[in-house]
Amino acid sequence: MGLLQNIIFGVITGSYIAIAAIGFTLIYGIVNMINFAYGEYLTLGAFIGLFAATALPIPLPVAVLVAMAGGGLVSIVLARAFFTPINQTGPVPLLLTSIGLGIALRNAIRLVAGRQARYYDTEATTFRFDAIPDLSVGSVDLLGGFFVTSEQLIVVGSAVVVFIAIHGLLTRTDVGIAMRAMGDNESLARVRGVDTQLIRDSVWILAGVLAGLSGVLLAIQTNVNATTGFSEILQILSAAILGGAGSPYGAILGAYLIGIILALSTAFLPSGMGGLSSAIAFAILILVLLVKPSGITGTEVREA
Amino acid sequence: MSALDRIPSGNGDLALLAGVFCFLIGGLFVLTPLQVQLPNMFYVFVEVGILFVIYGLLVLGLDLQYGHTGLVNFGHVAFFAVGAYGTAMLSAQDTFVGIGLGYPWPLALGVGVVAAAVVGLGVSATSIRLRGDFLAIVTLATAEILHSIFVNFEGVFGGNVGILGVPRPIAALVSQADTRLIATLLVLGGITLVGLAGVTRLTSAPYGRVLRAIRADELVTRSVGKSTVTYKTQAFVYGAALAGLAGGLFALYNGAVAPGFFTIQVTVTVWIGMLLGGAANHRAVLAGLSIIMGIRLVSRFALTVTPVPSDVFASIRLVVVGLILVAVIRYRPAGIWGDAQELGVDR
Amino acid sequence: MSLLSADGIVKEFGGLRAIDGLSVSIDAGELVGVIGPNGAGKSTMFNCISGVITPDEGTVTYDGTEVTGDPPETLARRGLVRTFQATRELETMTVRDNVRLAAPDQPGERTVSALLRTDSMQATERSVRTRADELLETFELDHLADEYSGNLSGGQRKLLELARTLMLEPDVLMLDEPFAGVNPTLTDEIAEHIRELNENGMTVVIIEHELETLTELVDRLVVLQQGRVLVDGEPEDVLSDERVIEAYLGGGV
Repeated sequence: MGLLQNIIFGVITGSYIAIAAIGFTLIYGIVNMINFAYGEYLTLGAFIGLFAATALPIPLPVAVLVAMAGGGLVSIVLARAFFTPINQTGPVPLLLTSIGLGIALRNAIRLVAGRQARYYDTEATTFRFDAIPDLSVGSVDLLGGFFVTSEQLIVVGSAVVVFIAIHGLLTRTDVGIAMRAMGDNESLARVRGVDTQLIRDSVWILAGVLAGLSGVLLAIQTNVNATTGFSEILQILSAAILGGAGSPYGAILGAYLIGIILALSTAFLPSGMGGLSSAIAFAILILVLLVKPSGITGTEVREA
Repeated sequence: MSALDRIPSGNGDLALLAGVFCFLIGGLFVLTPLQVQLPNMFYVFVEVGILFVIYGLLVLGLDLQYGHTGLVNFGHVAFFAVGAYGTAMLSAQDTFVGIGLGYPWPLALGVGVVAAAVVGLGVSATSIRLRGDFLAIVTLATAEILHSIFVNFEGVFGGNVGILGVPRPIAALVSQADTRLIATLLVLGGITLVGLAGVTRLTSAPYGRVLRAIRADELVTRSVGKSTVTYKTQAFVYGAALAGLAGGLFALYNGAVAPGFFTIQVTVTVWIGMLLGGAANHRAVLAGLSIIMGIRLVSRFALTVTPVPSDVFASIRLVVVGLILVAVIRYRPAGIWGDAQELGVDR
Repeated sequence: MSLLSADGIVKEFGGLRAIDGLSVSIDAGELVGVIGPNGAGKSTMFNCISGVITPDEGTVTYDGTEVTGDPPETLARRGLVRTFQATRELETMTVRDNVRLAAPDQPGERTVSALLRTDSMQATERSVRTRADELLETFELDHLADEYSGNLSGGQRKLLELARTLMLEPDVLMLDEPFAGVNPTLTDEIAEHIRELNENGMTVVIIEHELETLTELVDRLVVLQQGRVLVDGEPEDVLSDERVIEAYLGGGV
């Protein structure tokens, strides 16, 4: 398999991680917490989408929208119940609460849904491009024939739509501008009349919507089970911090970097050690936190 | 002088006495033909009890790091694993896959503890200055990386099967099953009590005062002349060493180590035990841990009487445990026995 | 003879020059006041001298040695001790523990001595406790000894900070707004303590806005403006200096 194919896989992974990472990093920047239950928001989105697609006579795209709405709803309900009341206690209690909530949710989903993995019923067309030359360098094929499926293209396409929408939201709407103001300097934003609790609620909803979408896209690529989202949480976290915690644009960049690094390391690692690719992603995360905690875009510098 | 005055004496000494006593009684069972009969229904108690005292060393180490010094270590299981794997790999004799060098177990145990301490030193040297939640993420990621390495480098660590054929010193000397179990509980329990004594002595001395000051405000502590980085590093390394000791003891009790024993669940269990009991109070965190382990015990009992599959029970237990963590942080951040003013959570 | 001096200190924060070429020298035994409008750089100057932050340029010399950028704990151990403007209390510790903490050279603060509970540790701890109690009595905080310091009033916290710093037996004491938020009676008490300490040989440098008490207390007044020394001299001369009056009226207090 040529490097090109690996990079394509990386771009696809990067796409659904990017969608989730935007939501995750907005929560970090505006609510000031690392939400370790965020993976469960993806999982719930995947389940809601699956339920909508199978139980109701609606086409898949509509089911995706239902999943996104469901994700937003779940997010705001959980936030109001668990996070908003302890908003003032500081980043560590919020992180610990999210860890406990994540465990409870994950296992509750397991109890309700059982252990069986479920699948989205989709038909995918595969587009093959075999005529590309291999361009070998040593034992590595730089290019080589590759393929993409229509599902994968939809993932990437959705991501691009999301990026444009988010950019529009943050630059052209009142809510979005207020979000950016709060992310930069909360007390200043409050002084200028921004209703901080309302904006926080909006961020929760937005993050939930993004998580729902990402969860469905992820589930279409893999499957739906209680740990679908949890298996991605560290990658999402890595992407957000790598790109600069709090910055949605950084999160996009970080996500694609993580996706490509994961794909390339899976390609280069000896067989049987594929699981190390996630270890490599975490090692990069640690490196970033130690060397430049403000990440690539360097928007947030939080001293110890 | 009021009752709040912590004069260096008191419960540390009691723990030391009790620890040595248990250790000696346990030793008696191991070395002499003395036997014990254990009614079947108590088996589960003793087995969970053994796990409790091993985890007890973990929670004491974590309490030193977080309860006293304020270091948010969410990768504690990593030190547990390093101690266990280190001890196992050095002493195992016939492991199916992976390295087993067959050295005497006391040496292996010592190496395991030192290895865990060295890893602790490495982590603290790089990360001790990070903000609380970032330190949590770094330590968590470190634990995940180690787990991944243990699973993936099969030739060295035995992959998912792990290292087998680790010597079991007590089992080797005691053939009768009941006595073996009780002796193990007493010996390991004794070690944990001695650990409790050591940690208590440290924290009730002026040393503990510096740690608590660091937790309260590091800059002020530096301004009165204390090298806070040194103390933070020491607290972290001591905690890691205790976890490494727990790991080595676990390996020598279990006879085998595998990645499945060293998941984030262990870290979470120990954290919840600490927060539930009351961080910064060594006896309280052990009590909190005992409650969490008690829930595990109850679920094991319930398993035998209800027709529910075991993984369903595990999930129910985990839902409860997760909710306990959330509830403790929200409603009783100082835990059941902790001091709210001491921990700064009296709002 | 200069005990403490800062020479050409420059410190920038994200493009803003908080300290812009500051030089000042303080002799042993002096009682110096530092004043200036808000934003003049008083606390930043303290931070640069006491090692809390490292200046971008310039040197700090203490007792003949250059100490620029040395960490606060090193300076504290050498006798240069400071308090903080917003009282940074160790809120989760009792008043007693706050004071006992500061005692230097405690064997009980080392692992082996603590574990073994050595005789020297116990003896030192006893004397530390006695000294702490004495200081608490001097500052009339003994009835609050077992209170968590987070529960103290503003004035009591200032007294606590003073007691704590004195455990270190400093040669130079740098006080950042010791009278802020303190009622007049207590202010006079604190001023009296400071005067006594200075008479017994301690060099004291005080940042303050409370000009009345300060000018009666100190021998010398240094005025900062925009990160530089504006005027430096005896209180009456300084206060009647036109530039100083303008600085306060122009810059806003």
